[in-house]
Amino acid sequence: MNFSAETRAACNTAAAKRSYNLQRFLDGWALFYENPVGKLGVFLLACFGVMALISYIPPLIDPMYHPMTGVDPWISNATGPSAKHWLGTDNLGRDLFTQLLTGARIAFMVGISAAFMSIVFGTLIGMIAGYAGRVTDAALMRFADMIMVMPSLLVVLLLASLFGQLNIWIIVLLIALFRWPGVSRVIRSQTLSLKQRPFIDMARVAGASHMRIIFRHILPNVLPMACLYMTFRVTSAIIVEAALAFLGFGDPNTVSWGMMLQWVWKTGHMFQAPYWLLPPGICISLITLSFYLIGRAMEEVLDPRLRKEENFE
Amino acid sequence: MRFFPKVFVSSLIFMAAAMVLLWSPASGHASGSTLRVGIAEEPRTLNVWMATDANSSKILSLIYQPLYTEHPETLELTPWLAKAMPEWDADTNTYTMELREAKWSDGSPVTAEDVVFTVNTIKSFKVPKYHSEWEFVEKAEAVDKQTVRFYLEEPRATFLTRSLINHVMPKKQWAPIVKQAKEKEKPLGALLNARVEKPLGCGPFVLERWQEGNFVYLTENPHFFGRGQTIQGHQLGPHVDAVLFKVYGTADVAILSLKKGDIDFLWWSVQPGYLEDLQKNKNIRVMINEKSALYYMGFNVRKKPFSDPALRRAAAVIIDRDFIVKRVLQGYGARMDSIVPSENRFWCAPNMPEYGRGLNREQRTKKAWKILAQAGYSWKRPPVDENGRVVSPSTIVRPDGNQMEKFTILTPPADYDPNRATCGILIQEWLRELGIPASARPMSFGALLETVKKNHDFDAFILGYGRLALDPDYLRSFFHSDNDKPGGWNMSGYHNPEFDKLAEASIAEMDTKKRQKLLYQMQEIIMENVPYIPLYNPAAIEAVDTRTFSGWVPMVEGIGNIWSFCSVRPQ
Repeated sequence: MNFSAETRAACNTAAAKRSYNLQRFLDGWALFYENPVGKLGVFLLACFGVMALISYIPPLIDPMYHPMTGVDPWISNATGPSAKHWLGTDNLGRDLFTQLLTGARIAFMVGISAAFMSIVFGTLIGMIAGYAGRVTDAALMRFADMIMVMPSLLVVLLLASLFGQLNIWIIVLLIALFRWPGVSRVIRSQTLSLKQRPFIDMARVAGASHMRIIFRHILPNVLPMACLYMTFRVTSAIIVEAALAFLGFGDPNTVSWGMMLQWVWKTGHMFQAPYWLLPPGICISLITLSFYLIGRAMEEVLDPRLRKEENFE
Repeated sequence: MRFFPKVFVSSLIFMAAAMVLLWSPASGHASGSTLRVGIAEEPRTLNVWMATDANSSKILSLIYQPLYTEHPETLELTPWLAKAMPEWDADTNTYTMELREAKWSDGSPVTAEDVVFTVNTIKSFKVPKYHSEWEFVEKAEAVDKQTVRFYLEEPRATFLTRSLINHVMPKKQWAPIVKQAKEKEKPLGALLNARVEKPLGCGPFVLERWQEGNFVYLTENPHFFGRGQTIQGHQLGPHVDAVLFKVYGTADVAILSLKKGDIDFLWWSVQPGYLEDLQKNKNIRVMINEKSALYYMGFNVRKKPFSDPALRRAAAVIIDRDFIVKRVLQGYGARMDSIVPSENRFWCAPNMPEYGRGLNREQRTKKAWKILAQAGYSWKRPPVDENGRVVSPSTIVRPDGNQMEKFTILTPPADYDPNRATCGILIQEWLRELGIPASARPMSFGALLETVKKNHDFDAFILGYGRLALDPDYLRSFFHSDNDKPGGWNMSGYHNPEFDKLAEASIAEMDTKKRQKLLYQMQEIIMENVPYIPLYNPAAIEAVDTRTFSGWVPMVEGIGNIWSFCSVRPQ
């Protein structure tokens, strides 16, 4: 076993770096978990995660538990909870519990993908604007302002009524396209302050290209902030999707909580079937709450000024 | 502690004041016997030439009157503004009829001149809503003050049942508007956009006030010709002083108002979901009546894949219409086996092919599979395997050897009509069980009509007619090959010389019995070739407050009809 000195040194630094990152993460996690707000958020989110995962099971038990097409052969109207249908059935005889489980899956899908996309757009544009400065900065930020003042729900509604019902992925993309400006402003301001730091100057003097500086040196420093904003974007994406679906502009092929609410409303069961109305409503509130709580707790981890005093002992 | 009552009292006063301010226009009129009617939307216009939406028609039907109307029980033509049934002279091809002694709401008499004026206006402006019903009328002539004669270019079976049930307009009010409009660059546009503040009518009610966005208030017409008369066994009033139409945006609010006693009649077909709650209420009576409506799935038979009748027949088998009626409509409606609703007893052909009636899902799939296999369709994995079990199939291959391409079923959006949107999804799933790659796509109503009626760029759609005329002449408009043109009513693009010949014969046939036979044949041809699959005919579900008014006259389309408004009286 004859490693050269350089290789060993490289191994050492890589290992050290990994353990440093791991340690940093663990410290952050400890801080996060100490916070009851964060704990509650994680617990709620875990519940919804389990719901989304087990949503695949009921259709395997019996085809009548398929959330969209399965109907109970003996029930052809809205009925309350029973042993066979834990939350009851809708007016077509479809199982509400299965629909609720599937709704969790759709909510995660919509929330996380829309938020992820808007974070990618926002971070890229924010970093470029902050780093390039001058005309690019001004142009990008004015563009961001323009998008920001657009009422996103209204514009999506307008598009939906113009082009017919939108596919769920187009809805996700539209939400993402309307929700990046907020992120990009925060990232830009971070980039502006990072740009003046000595390590950026050093990188530049050492001959690093702009691309390298942005992605290698600035990106890792703004990433935590981007993650934090992602949690807030998830909640808004879920709410926008639910609102759209409730108003009748959702993707009719998906069983989301908003669609469930739309069905209960449009079929005239709003005040007649609380077992149908309440579960999706409560779920929408709780899942947005859980992302919000996680975001709040994460903010405390990322911004030491928000921490309680005992953390500084 | 002391400030609390003060705040409380002042807020109470404020709220009371707000309530008084908010409700005063409505409750100010509610004294005496005012019939309060809840409607879904604001009437779009009170210009009768322009009024095509349901709510404008509802209000205008109480103000303007037709020469003839339909009898509530037998649905036969009944003289209304006319004194008796018209006399037909076969040699000269003319109809002659006499008017009743009637007056416009300002006291001036309704004369033959008014009728002639109405016909001339429709013909000279080619008013879109009415023109097709009058284009074969050469002219109308006032023989004397009370007698009108219509000269027809050719015998028309629909003249009585379609043309003569149109409203008669007052010459006095409209002649100046018509004269002005004719001088304009676009006369028709000027006529349609003319604003009518106070329509002058001869019906049981006259417009008193229309507060936009809130209510329409009609008071009784002292000069109504039917007052005190008995027509077809109904003693006409009106027996109420006024009718107040209140506009509610959503069904939930309207139903709460009905339960609270704020309205007496919900002129609005509500979703079956509300029924259970309404039926529990002792003060509310739910009125369920048949409708003359057609909700159907249409195909584009101009191009593949639906140019093949076998595929359309298979679709008719696999679509479970009983399922739709039982679950989507919750049993409040009827399955349709012909284009003419079965409630239209005289015209609906009996013994139509009952595609898939009474079959369960498995039998249905097998039957549809057989039809398709016989017509030359094939699958890599057919929907029924060697052991006769129904399995999930691979995509269907057309007889020409090509795999069927994905296509969309266009439906109205869920916020416009949840039932049709749901049907789209259901039908998509049923077709997929045969390996037919369908996907339902709700589309805004205007865009849907544009695509289906003008551009003809579609494969299948689900649409409906909420109010079909009782005369089944629409069969001719839907399927005659002359109507297959951009904007024409033959949206499927159905061409059949045999059908065209029958349709032309039917419109010229003046003998009702013979005409019935022709129409039966037409229905047979259509149901054999299924360019449209009729799906369902929903029931009209309306509700009234039993404590305030009685004497409603049920009819096809529900209790909101001229007979009800002339007969209803306070308890």
